[in-house]
Amino acid sequence: MTAGRVAQVEPEQPAADATRPARRQPEPPHRRPRLWLARLDTKASPYLYIAPFFVLFAIFGAYPLGYTFWVSLHDWDLLAAEHPFVGFDNYSRLLADGDFWNSVLNTLGIFVISTVPQLLLALWLAHLLNRQLRARTSFRMSILIPNITSTAAVAIVFGQLFSREFGMINWALDLVGIDAIDWRNTRFGAWVAISTMVDWRWTGYNALIFLAAMQSIPKDLYESAAIDGASPVRQFWSITVPMLRPTIVFCVIISTIGGLQLFTEPLLFNSGPNPIRGGPLRESQTMTMYMFENAFAPHFNFGYGSAIAWMLFALIVVISLINVLVIRRLGNSTRKEG
Amino acid sequence: MGANSRRRLVTATAAAVTVLAAATGCGGDEAADDGTITLTVDVFGQFGYEELYKQYEAENPGIKIVERGTGTNLDEYSPKLTQWLAAGKGAGDIVAIEEGLLIEYKANPQNFVNLLDHGAAELEGNFMPWKWDQALTADGSQLIGLGTDVGGMAMCYRTDLFEAAGLPTDRDEVSALWPTWQDYISVGEQFVEADTGASFLDAATQTFNTIVLQTAGAAEGYHYYDLDDNLVVDTNPAVKQAWDITMDIIDSDLSGKYGAWSDEWVAAFKQAKFATIACPAWMTGVIEGNAGPEAAGKWDIAKVPGDGGNWGGSHLAVPAQSEHQEEAVKLVKFLTSPEGHIGAFKAKGPLPSSPQALDDPAILEATSEYFNDAPIGQIFGEGAKNLKPVYMGPKNQAVRTEVENAVRTVELGQRTPDEGWTDAVNNAKTAAEK
Amino acid sequence: MKASQHLWSASKLTYATLIVAGLMSIFPIYWMFVVATRSSDAMGQIPPPLTPGGNLPGNIERLFNNPDAYFLTGMINSAIVAGTVTFSVVLFSSLAGFAFAKLRFKGSNALLLVIIATMMVPTQLGVIPLYMLMSQLDWNDRLAAVIVPALVTGFGVFLMRQYASQAVSTELIEAARVDGCSTLRIYWNVVLPALRPAAAVLGLLTFMTMWNDFLWPYAVLNDPENPTVQLSLRALSNGYYNDMSQVFTGTALATLPLLIVFIIFGRQIIGGIMEGAVKA
Repeated sequence: MTAGRVAQVEPEQPAADATRPARRQPEPPHRRPRLWLARLDTKASPYLYIAPFFVLFAIFGAYPLGYTFWVSLHDWDLLAAEHPFVGFDNYSRLLADGDFWNSVLNTLGIFVISTVPQLLLALWLAHLLNRQLRARTSFRMSILIPNITSTAAVAIVFGQLFSREFGMINWALDLVGIDAIDWRNTRFGAWVAISTMVDWRWTGYNALIFLAAMQSIPKDLYESAAIDGASPVRQFWSITVPMLRPTIVFCVIISTIGGLQLFTEPLLFNSGPNPIRGGPLRESQTMTMYMFENAFAPHFNFGYGSAIAWMLFALIVVISLINVLVIRRLGNSTRKEG
Repeated sequence: MGANSRRRLVTATAAAVTVLAAATGCGGDEAADDGTITLTVDVFGQFGYEELYKQYEAENPGIKIVERGTGTNLDEYSPKLTQWLAAGKGAGDIVAIEEGLLIEYKANPQNFVNLLDHGAAELEGNFMPWKWDQALTADGSQLIGLGTDVGGMAMCYRTDLFEAAGLPTDRDEVSALWPTWQDYISVGEQFVEADTGASFLDAATQTFNTIVLQTAGAAEGYHYYDLDDNLVVDTNPAVKQAWDITMDIIDSDLSGKYGAWSDEWVAAFKQAKFATIACPAWMTGVIEGNAGPEAAGKWDIAKVPGDGGNWGGSHLAVPAQSEHQEEAVKLVKFLTSPEGHIGAFKAKGPLPSSPQALDDPAILEATSEYFNDAPIGQIFGEGAKNLKPVYMGPKNQAVRTEVENAVRTVELGQRTPDEGWTDAVNNAKTAAEK
Repeated sequence: MKASQHLWSASKLTYATLIVAGLMSIFPIYWMFVVATRSSDAMGQIPPPLTPGGNLPGNIERLFNNPDAYFLTGMINSAIVAGTVTFSVVLFSSLAGFAFAKLRFKGSNALLLVIIATMMVPTQLGVIPLYMLMSQLDWNDRLAAVIVPALVTGFGVFLMRQYASQAVSTELIEAARVDGCSTLRIYWNVVLPALRPAAAVLGLLTFMTMWNDFLWPYAVLNDPENPTVQLSLRALSNGYYNDMSQVFTGTALATLPLLIVFIIFGRQIIGGIMEGAVKA
């Protein structure tokens, strides 16, 4: 690093700049390009650093997005040659579609049951893991193992665990005298089973993210708080949680996006005929499944399916905003108490 | 980060770039520099063409055949095929199309080569007329596929469970037990009373499908859509008749309520949890696989109640995007010739759709050891030849799905029979409009 | 100091909770392992067998000899894909995350919101236009089709941005500026070390996601001889009936590389405690 060399350049203080040349010797010629380069560096490098994402996105992300939106404005049969323009017809039909609202209900229901406990649990687990433990790595590995295994294999296992006749959970319930529950074919049962699958898989993931963030919190904060007489619980809510706020916001948004887009777990849970239907009464059909069902067999209505995709987008935006506002609110109130 | 890490970073970058460059190159297609044409055949499940490919390659030097998708599920194959057709790229030179989806694909014949332009008309006699018509567009001007197999229909049953229930086990005797569906239900009630711990049948939805195709075939020849493509699910007496019989089956508690093709259904084979199952020819392979070798000889095949029927079967088509249309059509003709059908049957058991093949001794005399040496060629072949075809309208698959799911809701006790019927009609109407 | 020892020691209750959490996490995997060492019949049995059987070597052999699965190729391809993407994502995400968090530039808030918004549109239908794009580039059946679109992710940028805003000290950056460091120098010497735990987490998560990715490779890699590992696992299931023990054996083997990667990256996350970023 530069020791003892005072910079000639201070881009945040142009006023001082103007006075400098007057006070000093005229700058030797090789220092002027330096000044110019440094200014360029400060102005241009942020854009350069974020450019890779946007370039790649423009090609591989924006095009599919735009295409999907364009398709949603047409009566677009995937196999046909012609696709008449229908404006927002698909959207208005969607709003009147009972099965669509059913899928919204399922999506929101599963989302609430899975995401809320998951994040709280993850926060708590990370807190427990953020200590001097023996066999630290093993504990950390054990909570991440669910996320490592492929979703397909997991869904098969859970599908079997929750099976009506041959499943282990019903067998265990039977041991304590409770009747077998038909997990797949009751709405609440399906929601619980799917949420269990999701929570099992993602709690460790979120815990790990929280854990990494917790490690950037300086220890002295805790120590001075302890000296001041704060209880561990108080320390958790007054130090850890506020300092983790950006990470909490991150996890909430990511979980919202992922949770509302849930596709693989419910699809694989419904092994049998038309798994994409989510059960004969569509008990566990999420919005992405409904979208897929309409876009491919048996309806092949790509336009309608694309409209569903964008409605889901709108829902995710709304819910994410609500979540972030709630967190901000909670964060502010904690700070006031703290 | 010290100098060491920086060096490591640079090395890693260099490695990554090399890999990326290599990855962009690898996996590409083979240059046909020696003039060999590679034909790609896209299938699902098991068509049994391996030996036929070898024979064809030997007789046609310069052609190499590659099969993709062997063993895949129809549910996964179908979106892929759609994707390829929609994108205009990626499909094989020959694609298999299952009869349920054929209707949808037929509605847009421009995606496929019109086989009539390639001299297919002279092959019409090689196929059962209803099979030929399935791949023909409404105006008869375009033929998009040639038939591979048909399902036929029989009733497979477990001899050990029948014995335990005090019922006869010999297949002719069993066939005589149920000439009609009402007789079948009576036998079922008898079975349930014997309390063997198993159900009489696996799922009411399977049975419903069989019955509706029979009632429709025996009556006007159509079920959900009439011949003018009007949706008649609520007015066609054939559909209501099939519905009512199925309601009786559910009412008599004959069903094991398994979701067809689910994990539970698969496990139920192993555990011998049901005694009969509606059995097209290809189901024998499923039973054998699911029940396992220990059940060999415990299954047998009897006639299906009612009057025969068909479930399933496929065609082979040539997508218009193929770069080797002539050669592909030639291969399709070979695979769907009577010899082709016989070869496939000998390999994996799919029932030929060719009347000549069905009369061939190879088929007539074929037996299945697993099924107690049942004469499968005869049993299924008879049913297939005597099949009365059922016209399938444009949105057949979607409508059929709704009606079958309504049956299942009643089966599971989620709806009463009347509610279920209302659901079936309403959902079918909605689905037809999507 | 006694106070700090008390703060960071783990009580018995902590251990108990973690053990329960660990067991619940591991049990389904253990069950998979049991089935992998037995045969598919184990799936439907009541009461379920809870101990491993002895079929593992046989199952492994059948797995590698399975002509339809190309399992070894699948593992290698997945390693290439996951490795390349992980490296690229960590690099570009940390650059962009640092820029959004600590550098001031016009439109930074709007652009960040755009990035987050792009993650909110479900991607299943994008398969079709993306597939058409790949056809144009003639990348069908090539690993590039799977690698290139994934080289930078909104998730990565967002994660690094949040972490950087919390863990990288603005004062240190200012001080480095005063000393005349270029932005790149600042990134290299100040920011990257502070981002290490998050970089490790992102690397691990990205590797796992790419390793387990199914939908897009399934759509674009149609040559059965050139699969990724998830595709070859899928090919293990025969269309008519699934040999679960083979599928689970394959899954177990496919998970091993992930465990190895975890152990490597895991040290980085632990290491973060000792080295830390900044003492306020």
